[in-house]
This record gives sequence, structure tokens and C-alpha cells, in this order.
Amino acid sequence: MSYEPTIVAFLCNWCSYTGADLAGTSRMKYASNVRIIRVMCSGRVDPTFVLSAFKEGADGVLICGCHPGDCHYHEGNYKCLRRYHLLQKYIQQMGLDKDRLRLEWISASEGRQFAELMDSYTETVRNLGPCKMKQVIETLT
Amino acid sequence: MEEEKRIGVYVCWCGTNIAKMVDVVDVAKEIGKLPNVVIAKDYKYMCSDPGQEFIIKDIKEHNLDRIVVAACSPRMHELTFRKALQNAGLNPYMFEMANIREQVSWVHTDRGEATRKAKSLVAAAVNRIAWHESLDKRTVDINPATMIVGGGIAGISAALEIGNSGKKVFLIEKEYKLGGHLAGVDLTYPYMYSADQILKPLIKQIANHPNIEVFLNTQIDEVFGYVGNFETKITPAGAKEAELKFGNVIVATGLKPYDPGGIENYGYGKLPNVITSIEFEQMLKKGKIVTKEGVEPKNVAIIHCVGSRNKYYHEYCSRICCMTALKFSNQLRSALPDTSIFECYADIRSFGKGCEQFYTQTSGKDVMFLMFDQKNDLPRIRKAKPKDGCDMLIEFNELLSGEDIEVPADMVVLMVALEAQENARDMAHAVGVSMCGNEFYIERHPKLDPVATTTDGVYIVGGCQSPKDIPDSIAQARAAAARILATINIGQVEVEVTTAVVNEDICCGCQTCVNVCPYTAISFDKEKGVSVVNEILCKGCGTCGSTCPTGAIRSRHFTDKQILSQIEGLMSTSIELQEV
Repeated sequence: MSYEPTIVAFLCNWCSYTGADLAGTSRMKYASNVRIIRVMCSGRVDPTFVLSAFKEGADGVLICGCHPGDCHYHEGNYKCLRRYHLLQKYIQQMGLDKDRLRLEWISASEGRQFAELMDSYTETVRNLGPCKMKQVIETLT
Repeated sequence: MEEEKRIGVYVCWCGTNIAKMVDVVDVAKEIGKLPNVVIAKDYKYMCSDPGQEFIIKDIKEHNLDRIVVAACSPRMHELTFRKALQNAGLNPYMFEMANIREQVSWVHTDRGEATRKAKSLVAAAVNRIAWHESLDKRTVDINPATMIVGGGIAGISAALEIGNSGKKVFLIEKEYKLGGHLAGVDLTYPYMYSADQILKPLIKQIANHPNIEVFLNTQIDEVFGYVGNFETKITPAGAKEAELKFGNVIVATGLKPYDPGGIENYGYGKLPNVITSIEFEQMLKKGKIVTKEGVEPKNVAIIHCVGSRNKYYHEYCSRICCMTALKFSNQLRSALPDTSIFECYADIRSFGKGCEQFYTQTSGKDVMFLMFDQKNDLPRIRKAKPKDGCDMLIEFNELLSGEDIEVPADMVVLMVALEAQENARDMAHAVGVSMCGNEFYIERHPKLDPVATTTDGVYIVGGCQSPKDIPDSIAQARAAAARILATINIGQVEVEVTTAVVNEDICCGCQTCVNVCPYTAISFDKEKGVSVVNEILCKGCGTCGSTCPTGAIRSRHFTDKQILSQIEGLMSTSIELQEV
């Protein structure tokens, strides 16, 4: 069987998760590689969640929040953005490509954009090849 | 500490909605093999009464203590199932949903792939729920007052509905008088009632109403609090600052007309006799239809869809312009029997009670209907030459005849689109509602919950939600009023208990959480040297939880343990299944 990436996506409840639901109610079709985890706010995405996803074998991690200025909790997405830049540096030091972690803004009305993002990001991660983090950790421990 | 957990898993067919793309029987069978899962079943409609009864019966018979339902989005039915758990004597938070409809069966095309994905989502939910804990619902008293922002027909209708039932209303209007756009309207379609006769008695009722307090020339900058207990500060012009306290909010801030200056073909602002529908309405109201030169126009053209249904301006239909244009033709025909009237339209949309009849009736009044192709070039208006015998000429290809034509006009009325208010975004932030791409506010559910929003206690009615006519605005206003009166009647409301909580034994007193909280809900207890969460102010975003360096802050119902287990469950099946 050829390589199919697995992507873990953290979506905020108010904008992005609703946008993903809208893609569903509009019957838009997209790649089935993404597994969604709902959090109330992208600000809740703890760095350990992202690292744990890689540890468990994710090939890519996506975080989606409300557009800047639209956060249901005023500024959680900004907190997430700051953390994202640090995390990207961190995963690169671990030897992962920076594209394995992506932050995108998806509003509640952007079902189309969500579906397109799922396809394009799946393609990006597919081109990166399998993430070996899980095996590396297993070998080391 | 691993005590035995007894999990029940229910996989919904949703008729064929899920079952067509996901092998629900297989999902239930595979998930049934996971540790702690006592039973795993599939059923046609889990949300139906028999479906819920099914769960309740199993909880009692098999002594289940946690329930996972794999069905639609939790945004749809999480509350339904939480209630079912409660009816069975379980804590409602011992429940988790796996979204295998909106995020699986409706969006994927390969049954094998979709089934695999569904399994991994359900396995993740099973893993997560093992760490769920009982949370006690908190109830708060509802302040029986309501704040309504916007004094147009929607705000006025809601205010009277609530005020007449004996409850206090604060009606906030940014202008110096009530009435909104309707105050500028002459007659209303399709029955030609006078707008003044509709509006003026309502405004009079409000002026003398013991329960309705009106604040004119007043804007709302920020609203604090939560359902049942909101507050804001207002500064009405010429008066001193006042503090208002209320339990619910209705946003009825309306919309504004589109400025057609940006559409070059129409020459608005350059050709003096090209006017907007709003300006024409004012002429009708004054009872005098004259050109800028002060004479009665011999030819009047009405151009539809100005800024609407066009990818360069607004893509949506503004809903009321077609019927308003027909109303203009009717009024023109009565006032100027000899004037030629041209309706230049893209499509006539005459939905709504009495509207199709109104269209038929108008077309019988010597009004010429000419169709243009909005997808290609819009009609172009140019100044006519003296020999043409009119002020302007409108050129376009008439779609039904296929001919290039020139329509004479001494006055052109542009049926302008309706768009979101300039400060729609500020208002959205002040009360915590979301906006769609064109800045209209988003309702909680487009079909099932059209006036509530995702913020409890905040309702949207009238034009701020989307362009709509008078009866639709009033219907929404009264619907929101009824919803609010129902909650006031109960007197209490349940609020989310998924707030943050500090473990004082682990808290190192670094106060990082204090700085990131957007609600100033966390303070520092100097005596104990630890952070303290005010549960009334906390809205449960979880930002503090992901910032806390020691793990002292727990975001209830979204704890680290719960989410990490969810990730583990998600990936364990994904990997396993890929290797098979």
C-alpha cells in the first residue's frame, strides 16, 4: 500500500470547527487523511498536544483558528500564533520539516476554504513523506 | 488508579446519511473490541426518541457510566444526548460525540477510507471519555431586563413584545430618532400600506411605555458579563454616563444601502439624474417626482441588482429590491400617467406572500420589462444629445430579444444593494457574535436556530443578519422576544461549567495565566502565593491551561489528559489500520 499521510487537526469550536461542519453540510468533498480534534479555542492548543501527535505517529499537524480579530475569546488566536512560531523552530530542531506543522485561519463561513485546505495540506504532507518521529522514539527508548 | 469504566458506544446511521458512506455495523463491531467498551451498537436514528430511549435503557441494564455517540456534529446534538444521560441518572458530561457525518460521510467518497476514519474518530472518543469526570451544572439568576440595540422596525417590535409582557427594555438607538430605514419609506409592497401608518403608532406606544427606556444618540462600545448578567456603560449625547444591567441582548442594528459610485457604467455622482432607490423613495415621500432640472421626467428607467448578485460587488441577493422596484413602477404610474417606465432587470425575484401577484399586476400597468445579462457587461448610461429628445441613454443587450438597445431616460433609479453596517465588526466584538464573509451576523444554526447566536443570551434580528423585508424582520424580532421571555420566565439559566481551575498544590505563582486571560478572570492570591480563577468571569477558552508551565491549571472538560488520550486513540487506530 502506498504511503498515505495521517494529519491531526486541532480546530477551534467557534470558527474553524463550524467551518468544517459547513463543508459537510454543503457536501464538499476533500481528502480523508485529516482527523479533527475539537478545542474551544486555538489558544487551548498546548505545545504538548502537537508534540504528542507527532510522537503518536502523525505526519502533519494542523491548527485552525478564527481569523485575527474574530476570536470568540478576543485574543486566543494571537496566543496561538505566538506559540506556533516557537513550536515551528522547536520541531525543526527536532529534525522535522517546518511544513509538518501549519497554522491557518478558517472562519465559520469558510467551508470551501476548509475543504481546499484539507486537500492542499494533505498534498504538502504527502510530498514530505512519512514522519519517522514515532519510530525514532521507539528505537531510542 | 485504573478503576473499571463501563462505556457504551452508539453508532448512528442517520438514515442513509452516514450508513451510505460508512460501514456503521463494522465500526460498532471493531469498537466493541476496545478496552472498557461494554457494548457497541448501531441504530438508524440515535437522536430520535426511540434512539435516546435505547441509550437510557442500556445505561440502566448494563450499568454504563460513560456514553459515546458517533453521529452528526456535536454542535448539532451534543445537548440532546447530554439530556438523555441526565434522564438516565448519569452526569451529562460523561458523554462524548464523534462527528462521523459532517466530517466524514458527507465529505468523503471512498467507503473504505471513510469507515477507517470513522473508526479512528470513535476510538479517539472512547479513549477520551475514559478520562471524563462529572461536572455539576451551575445555574445563575436571570436579570429580567433586556437590552435591544437598534431602533428600527425589528428593534421596535422586539421592544414592544417584551415591554408589553411587563419586562424592562433598554432600547438603544444611534440616531436622534426611532424608526430606522422604514422611517424613510413612503408606501410598502405588495399591499401599498403607508410606512408611516405602520411605524408611527408603534413609536408612539414606545414613547409612552412604562417598561421601555429609550436612549437616542447612543452607541454601545462594549458589553461585559454573560447570559443572565450582562452590563454596559452608555453615554447618551448631552447626558451623563449610565450603567445598564440586563440579562439578554437583542442586536437589531440593521444594514445600510450600497454606494453605487463604484460602478462606473452607471455614472452615479457624475450624471445628476442618476439617483439611488433611497433618494427616489424620499421623492415619493415628499410627493414630488422631478428631475434635477425641476421638471417631471418623461422617461424613467429603474435598474435592478445594483451591487447585488455580482461577483465584483456583493454576490448575494439583497431580497427586497425587486419588489421595491415594482412598487416604484406602481407609484410612478399613479403619479405620472403619461411617463414611460422601463424596468431593466437581471431576474425578477418575487417570492413571498402576495409578491408574484404584485408582479403580474405591475406588468399590466404599461411598464416595459427589459432583461440584461449581469454576468457580462452591465448596462451603460451616457448623456444623450439634444436630438435624442431625452436626458440620458442606457445601452445594453436585451437578453430576451437578443438585440442591442438604447433606453431613453430622464431619470434613472438604481436599486442599490443592502450591505452590513460600517461598524458591524465593532458591534460583533462588543457582544460576541460571529460574522459571515459579507459581515452579516451568523445565527446559531441556519435552519434550526435562526435568531440565537453562539453566545448565550445574545440574539440577532432583522437586517443585521441578512437583508430582509418588514414582515421577516418583525417575525425574527418577536421570535427573539419569545425566546428571551421564556428564559426570564424560568428565572434561571444553566451556564457552562467547563471553566478553568487551579490546583493550588502545584501552582508556582508565576502569574503567567493572569497575563494571558482575556477576561481578567484570574487573580493572584498574595497570601497563598497562587493564582485563583473567578468561575463567573471564566468562559473556558483554555488559553491559561496551555500556558501554565507546571500543569496546575486544568481546563475542565478539555483537560490535558483528555485531549492527549484522544490523540492517542486517534493515532493508534490510524496506524494499525494503515499497516493492515
